[in-house]
Amino acid sequence: MMEKDTDLAIEVRGLSHHYGARCIYSDLNFTVPHGRVVALLGKNGVGKTTLIKILMGYLRPTGGICRVLGQQSHRLRAETRARIGLLFEGHLAYEFMTIEQIEAFYAPFYPKWRKDLYYDLVERMGLPKNHKIGNMSCGQRSQVVLGLIFAQDPDLMILDDYSMGLDAGYRHLFLDFLDRFLQEGNKTVFVTSHVVQDMEKLVDDVIFLERGGQVLQMPLADFSARFRCFSFQTPGDKAPQKDYIIRNVDLLGEAPKLFSFEPRQTVQDHLDAACPGVKLTQEMPMSLEDAFIGLTGKY
Amino acid sequence: MIKSIFLKEWLKLKRVWLLVLLLNLCCMAYLLIVIRHQFQIEHSEMIWYWSFELRRLLYDEIKYIPLLTGLVIAIAQYLPEMINHRFRLSLHLPLQAHLQVLIWIGFGALMGGVIALIDMASLYLIIKGWFPTEAAASALLTAAPWFLAGWVSYFGATLVMVEPHVPQRLVYLLMSLAFLALLYLEKGYQEYDHALPVMILLALLMAPAIILPVHRYRHRS
Repeated sequence: MMEKDTDLAIEVRGLSHHYGARCIYSDLNFTVPHGRVVALLGKNGVGKTTLIKILMGYLRPTGGICRVLGQQSHRLRAETRARIGLLFEGHLAYEFMTIEQIEAFYAPFYPKWRKDLYYDLVERMGLPKNHKIGNMSCGQRSQVVLGLIFAQDPDLMILDDYSMGLDAGYRHLFLDFLDRFLQEGNKTVFVTSHVVQDMEKLVDDVIFLERGGQVLQMPLADFSARFRCFSFQTPGDKAPQKDYIIRNVDLLGEAPKLFSFEPRQTVQDHLDAACPGVKLTQEMPMSLEDAFIGLTGKY
Repeated sequence: MIKSIFLKEWLKLKRVWLLVLLLNLCCMAYLLIVIRHQFQIEHSEMIWYWSFELRRLLYDEIKYIPLLTGLVIAIAQYLPEMINHRFRLSLHLPLQAHLQVLIWIGFGALMGGVIALIDMASLYLIIKGWFPTEAAASALLTAAPWFLAGWVSYFGATLVMVEPHVPQRLVYLLMSLAFLALLYLEKGYQEYDHALPVMILLALLMAPAIILPVHRYRHRS
């Protein structure tokens, strides 16, 4: 078994995957150090689900390396799996079990099991212990699933689209509990979500996955500080194009905008050379969601 | 951990198992009533003639009940795992996947086996109520392939449900149907006596075969 002692919780090197003739990635590379909270963001169809399946060990990649806690993700040993908490899309759980039964079922598998954390979360719902999980709302089930992951006390959590099916209240509750749990320290989280806005408070780093497997990884603080949006005026129909300075151009909104990691003067100088006549007007404030769309585009 | 796995399987099965047990008991009660009725409306000599001269089976009402039992147990056990790919939850448990699934299949086969034993005891006692002990023992041997069909349908349905790839799933389905057809070829008493040990061995070999579809489910690239 290819195994490596490493400071990295997740290590993806030269990863490739194909579905038949369709290539999802050909050379995907990123790492997640221990103790970081990392969000994987990308538009639909870029291969987030495939990557999550590979990381969770349910898909053997066509090529390259994907190590989780130092072991190949599709060949994790049982004791390594005990250190990884998985949250499946849709808050998957054994619906035929009750609140009490599911705790009793999982407890013997995990040496560090913390029953108190599970019941701390679940008892807040005010449901009896014999309440069946299949009869819960998606929000209630998310509490049970999160409680089980916390009780497992994992070193690494892989949370696949935790926001799916949750209303704003349960989403915030989920994040609040997760945040409180992470304050205990030394936990690594790899999370995906369609609600980009939520990531703002939660994550340390962001990984933007683009079609074809191009990856942009950086601390969220750096991204927020460096990624800029400028409105611009252009004479006639001529509009600037995406290039190594201009990451994206949006002509669909009220005012045309362009996005760049470069400061205003550098962008203006670049425009003067590449697209004379185009003038930046003002720098626009952006939420993380605006920035995500600015980087990846609306289509 | 093993206790936990048994708990989960029992939670999935308990209601269905009790219902299936009740169905089997009703069928045995029906068989009892039918045979009793025959002895009330016909002379004993005539029934003896049907049974031992014409070799007509008096208890083929129960022929397909074990098959149905195996099928229902497999569905009750594996459908909750397969809906929404919930099987992934089990595969992430810190336990060898094949060991876990072998425990599942052992548990399901055992629960089906318990019902089969109850049926066999009932059949023996019902036949012994009107016929000599030799006829009751013969009934058990005659019905043995039908009871074996219970395990074959259980193992076959398990393989079909767990297998993630359609071509292999079809192979398992055809293989199981062919095996079942082989177990229902009899026209009279104890026709499978010589073949039965081999048939049992072949049926039991279907149990460890579950390891392959589980492996494919885990790494379906």
